[in-house]
Amino acid sequence: MSAVRLWNFLCSLKLAIVLASAAVALLVVGSLYMPSRPSLFGAMDRMPLGQWYAQAWSQQPEAVWWVPAMGILIILLGINTLCCTLDWLFRLKSRWRKTGEYLLHLGFVLALAGYVWGSFDGFRNEGMRIAVGQTVAIPSFPGHYLMLEDVEIFRRTPRAIPDAASTMVLLRGDTQISRYQIRTNDPLIHGSLVVVPLSFSQAAAGIRAQISGVGAVDLLPGAVFALDGGATLTIHDFYPWAMRRPDGSVFPRGENPVRPALELELNNPDRLIWRGWYFPQDGLPPELAEAGVRLRPVDLVYRPIGLFTVNSDPGAPLALAGGIAMTAGVFICLFSFYSKRARGDRPEIT
Amino acid sequence: MTTTLIGVCFAAYIVSALLYIVHLKVRRPAWRRGAFILVVGAFALQTAILGWRWWAAGFLPVTNLFATQFFFSWALAATYLYFELRYRIGGVGLFVIFLNLLLLASVLPRDPALPPLIPALDTPLFTLHVSFSFFGYAFFAMAFSLGTLYLVQRRLSHPLLPTLPQLRKLNEESIFLGFVFFTLCMLAGMLWAYVAWGYWFSWNIKGVWSFLIWLFYAGMCHAKFVRQWQGTGYAVLSVAGFFLVLFTYLGIGLLMSSNHPLE
Ligand code: HEM
Repeated sequence: MSAVRLWNFLCSLKLAIVLASAAVALLVVGSLYMPSRPSLFGAMDRMPLGQWYAQAWSQQPEAVWWVPAMGILIILLGINTLCCTLDWLFRLKSRWRKTGEYLLHLGFVLALAGYVWGSFDGFRNEGMRIAVGQTVAIPSFPGHYLMLEDVEIFRRTPRAIPDAASTMVLLRGDTQISRYQIRTNDPLIHGSLVVVPLSFSQAAAGIRAQISGVGAVDLLPGAVFALDGGATLTIHDFYPWAMRRPDGSVFPRGENPVRPALELELNNPDRLIWRGWYFPQDGLPPELAEAGVRLRPVDLVYRPIGLFTVNSDPGAPLALAGGIAMTAGVFICLFSFYSKRARGDRPEIT
Repeated sequence: MTTTLIGVCFAAYIVSALLYIVHLKVRRPAWRRGAFILVVGAFALQTAILGWRWWAAGFLPVTNLFATQFFFSWALAATYLYFELRYRIGGVGLFVIFLNLLLLASVLPRDPALPPLIPALDTPLFTLHVSFSFFGYAFFAMAFSLGTLYLVQRRLSHPLLPTLPQLRKLNEESIFLGFVFFTLCMLAGMLWAYVAWGYWFSWNIKGVWSFLIWLFYAGMCHAKFVRQWQGTGYAVLSVAGFFLVLFTYLGIGLLMSSNHPLE
């Protein structure tokens, strides 16, 4: 096949129709597998396509064979469209009236390229739990952290269902690189990264207690209290449901406040008196009582906790550029359709 | 009140459809003018109802089955009027009026109460996504109507129906406009998905079928340039395409669970 014939084949409108028809037929067949295997296909949105496919193929190859076949057809259609668009660009002088059509074509190619890129790169984390005041590392994104500063419940109109506005800080190491109040349909977007709110609840975060000489206080991780006589009480950690191993070490069992425990440290100005786990249900550890600490737990302290989707799709900006090109193209097309019609201009028929 | 007014629209559309049918037999301009005035009147009333509900709710109400069917019916009437005003299609677009009647009939027994807006739907992207999709569907319905008539006319060569080249031209325009609206619907939907879920294409069955429909009609926008597909082929594709649309709108919503339930 000569180069010219190959190029003409790649630019051919008939090839586009054949590819699009084949893709439509394959999608009809493929989509029939979807409703009967919700757990397999339901996971498709939870990870980049490439990652999903690697898992799905190893589990149920008979139900997912059509996905790569589909991918190949659509990519071929994309190459076909790209060649067609380039061909138009080479002859722009005589074909400028088709700018709308070709912006639409270019937009499709860009969006497709963005999708392919995002299918093999980037990551998705659905349902990251972050409590107010907590900083968590973003999995698959080394060196980056999210800190939830605040959650505020509000209504857009008096009759509307309540929504939450969460102030989220994105950190690279210790440096803040973005801070945004996230709401439904208004995520934090930074480069390829997007943070979307999913839902909100409450989680036990510490214990409210009465300490003699101090008063009623919230014992939350990170808090330090000065006691009578110069001692300090530091709260290191809190587990809503703590378990003790036979060797005495303590580990978290779950989020339900079944058996809460605080990791405390008591210091005199010059030395450590005691550090260990305090289970309110078991009473005050003797070391603390002997040191004169009078502490009476009153209640649990709850904190808002948010569930967030944190995804990175490096192809998204390219897809957005494609979307903008398509939007512009479709409007120009709309006008040029009628003006071309009025001029009796119909393209060469193949 | 809303139900009564919708009942009035329904009655006006029925009478106008009957007048158009009579006019196909008895070519008196008065029948046709009467039918046209009734459609315009019913459409104006429907527009007023939609406008009033929009104002009362504070958002375009397209968030439950009642509201979407009412909007779809309004979009069908608008599509019909566009073709009627521009090309005087008259009874040729009767299928669209019938579809409109069917939708209104299923709306009438339902509760018209305005639902509170859930935050996820409180965005212009959602409003654009839904309204563009129904306009796309309405033009695809019109293309179905024109395609069917094309096939009928090919056998009958009836002098009272438009000629084959006229029908073909109208059908091509309807497909093109449907594709334009549907493309805008997909674009708004993708942007919305990104800000709502953090990814812009969802592999749920409705998303897959919407892409499939889009690809199908994109193919049709090209098929008209290929000689073998012009005319009959195009008419058959318009009919087939509308079945894909019906399956996507009704079949998936009713038969399977997706993130696009009807209610
Ligand atoms: C999925 C990808 C594609 C989409 C969505 C698309 C969409 C469209 C649309 C909406 C039109 C305007 C039709 C009209 O005027 O009614 C069009 C026209 C056209 N497309 Fe595509 N197209 C695609 C792929 C391709 C490919 C691969 C080719 C290459 C052969 C191609 C070649 C053309 C040509 C030659 C025209 C006619 C322009 C004119 O002269 O009016 N398209 N396309």
